[in-house]
Amino acid sequence: MSKFQNILDSYGVSRRDFLKYCTALGATLSLSPALAPKVAEAIEKDDRPPVIWLEFQDCAGDSESLLRSNRPTVAELVLDYLSIDYHETIMAAAGHQAEEAQRATVEKYKGKYICVVEGSIPVNDDGVYCTIGGKSAVQILNEVGGNAAFVIAVGTCATYGGLPAAYPNPTGAKRVKELLPNKTVINLPGCPMNVDNLTGTIVHYLLFGAPPVMDKFLRPKFAYGKRIHDNCERRGHFDAGQFVNAWGDEAHRQGWCLYKMGCKGPETFHNCPTVRWNEGTSWPVQSGHGCVGCSEPGFWDTMTPIYNRLPNIPGFGVEATATKIGAAVVGISAVVFGTHGIVSLIRNKGMVKKVEHEFEDEE
Amino acid sequence: MADNKCAARRYVYVWEGPVRISHWLNFFCIIFLSITGVYIHYPFVTACSLSNAPYIMGIVRYSHYLVGVIFAFSVLLRLFWLFMGNYYSSWKSFSNPFKKEDRKIFWGYFKYYIFLERNPPHVLGHNPVALVAYIVLFNLFILQIITGFALWSQADPNSTMYAITGWIFNFVSNQWVRFYHYIFMFLVAGFVINHIYSAVIFDFKSQSGEISSIFSGWKPERRR
Ligand code: HEM
Ligand code: SF4
Repeated sequence: MSKFQNILDSYGVSRRDFLKYCTALGATLSLSPALAPKVAEAIEKDDRPPVIWLEFQDCAGDSESLLRSNRPTVAELVLDYLSIDYHETIMAAAGHQAEEAQRATVEKYKGKYICVVEGSIPVNDDGVYCTIGGKSAVQILNEVGGNAAFVIAVGTCATYGGLPAAYPNPTGAKRVKELLPNKTVINLPGCPMNVDNLTGTIVHYLLFGAPPVMDKFLRPKFAYGKRIHDNCERRGHFDAGQFVNAWGDEAHRQGWCLYKMGCKGPETFHNCPTVRWNEGTSWPVQSGHGCVGCSEPGFWDTMTPIYNRLPNIPGFGVEATATKIGAAVVGISAVVFGTHGIVSLIRNKGMVKKVEHEFEDEE
Repeated sequence: MADNKCAARRYVYVWEGPVRISHWLNFFCIIFLSITGVYIHYPFVTACSLSNAPYIMGIVRYSHYLVGVIFAFSVLLRLFWLFMGNYYSSWKSFSNPFKKEDRKIFWGYFKYYIFLERNPPHVLGHNPVALVAYIVLFNLFILQIITGFALWSQADPNSTMYAITGWIFNFVSNQWVRFYHYIFMFLVAGFVINHIYSAVIFDFKSQSGEISSIFSGWKPERRR
């Protein structure tokens, strides 16, 4: 019995379930079903690269996403099997022992291991806002990320700065790519990222030896190539003009579109509607709440207010919606030119007579 | 009234065909785009029955895009004519801030607008202050077209349209692109108020057929 079979048995997962999972993963990656055995092979291979999982300014939500399941799933098994050598939240070792494990992996597998980063990196005041074992996040990222085969930034904080980088960004939080400009960084934004996309990205690497095709924000296209809005099950209601107008109204109970409640689906790229969460159980819009746009660059600052469709205008007070400002522009214009008109009326008195006789005497 | 001699010395064909066509296409497109745009921003009509799904938003968005394309061609036509047209429609009629004469006319009109001058020197084409407003306006149009096509292209980030317009998202996040696309509508509306008012007042003041000229193209050249 192979080593992998042993692991399957210890998780109580049948070979059949494992292969089913590989097929689903292949579908997520937009691979042909014929490649499913190859996916399985890639996962089973013995020379998998080790993974070092770094956590900086984060909420551990992506780790949570990784561990989320209430029963051991194939996905979890695969990730476990990937030999995550260092992960602060889930590793048994602690303190110097843990740091030693990390150092050993970096040295032994230099340029071969995968570095996963969760959380943004503060750079203000020499990075004192996040230190682990006496080293700042910037240092750790440079050492560990800098020597990895490639870096996967998981969650919106690591990919775009996320909440810590939201205005006024007191810690000077930065995203991974800003600090490792020359490294291959794969962004898996989301609050949290979806673990199926992480597995997919890693398996893609195992299978093809290269990161998946990415868009200009360095997100894999297989997961972030389509807008939420274009795959949303409520889209039919959007096109029909059937909208929720208040939480809990008849339309809300009917499951109509959440556009007017500030849904950011039209501006957000993610595969939530198709892959969903918690083993494909549901996702925000399905459960009746609009998309908050958590996986877009600039999330928080650009996607708030969550229940308004468009951002508020900074510097004009909290409730300065675009409509109010716009109406003011039109109003001011009307008042200015209205007044101008009245003044002109008075100034032009007598003009009609003058013009009517203007060229009379030239004849 | 044989003794009442006409103020016009002769007639000049000021606005050529393409200028007028583009003007009226813009007129209809802007009205249509604004109405459909307001609906897209805030869908005030909600379809109520489940069984009779009317596809309201679908039709509104489709027609917004279709008219948007027409609008884009209309603006392109006018920009083309900026280089091909006669003096009055050409960039050559822009005031040159280095020329004393141009500066004098510009300030004359500026003072007219703030009631410090009664009779600014007559010009046949655009008055130089209004011309500045038109330049700003056409920049707004171009921004409106770029942001519009960029928003549209998000339906498929692998498309040519995204390749052409998607660069905007490198500088401005898509929520703010949407925001600007919305707020520019109000700026255009504010301009329209000014534009109609100024056309009427100058037509009245200078008897130069301002308003009829955008229908027929002709303007009288005044004696003084
Ligand atoms: C004077 C010109 C225009 C005006 C006043 C206008 C107005 C608007 C307004 C008010 C919105 C709603 C914005 C929001 O609240 O999210 C909108 C959306 C939009 N407009 Fe325009 N627009 C104009 C030109 C164009 C052009 C030339 C195009 C390109 C074809 C275009 C494409 C779009 C698109 C794609 C949307 C988003 C619709 C959606 O995703 O549901 N617009 N427009
Ligand atoms: S609920 Fe949101 S994502 Fe779904 S169709 Fe409506 S606006 Fe689009």
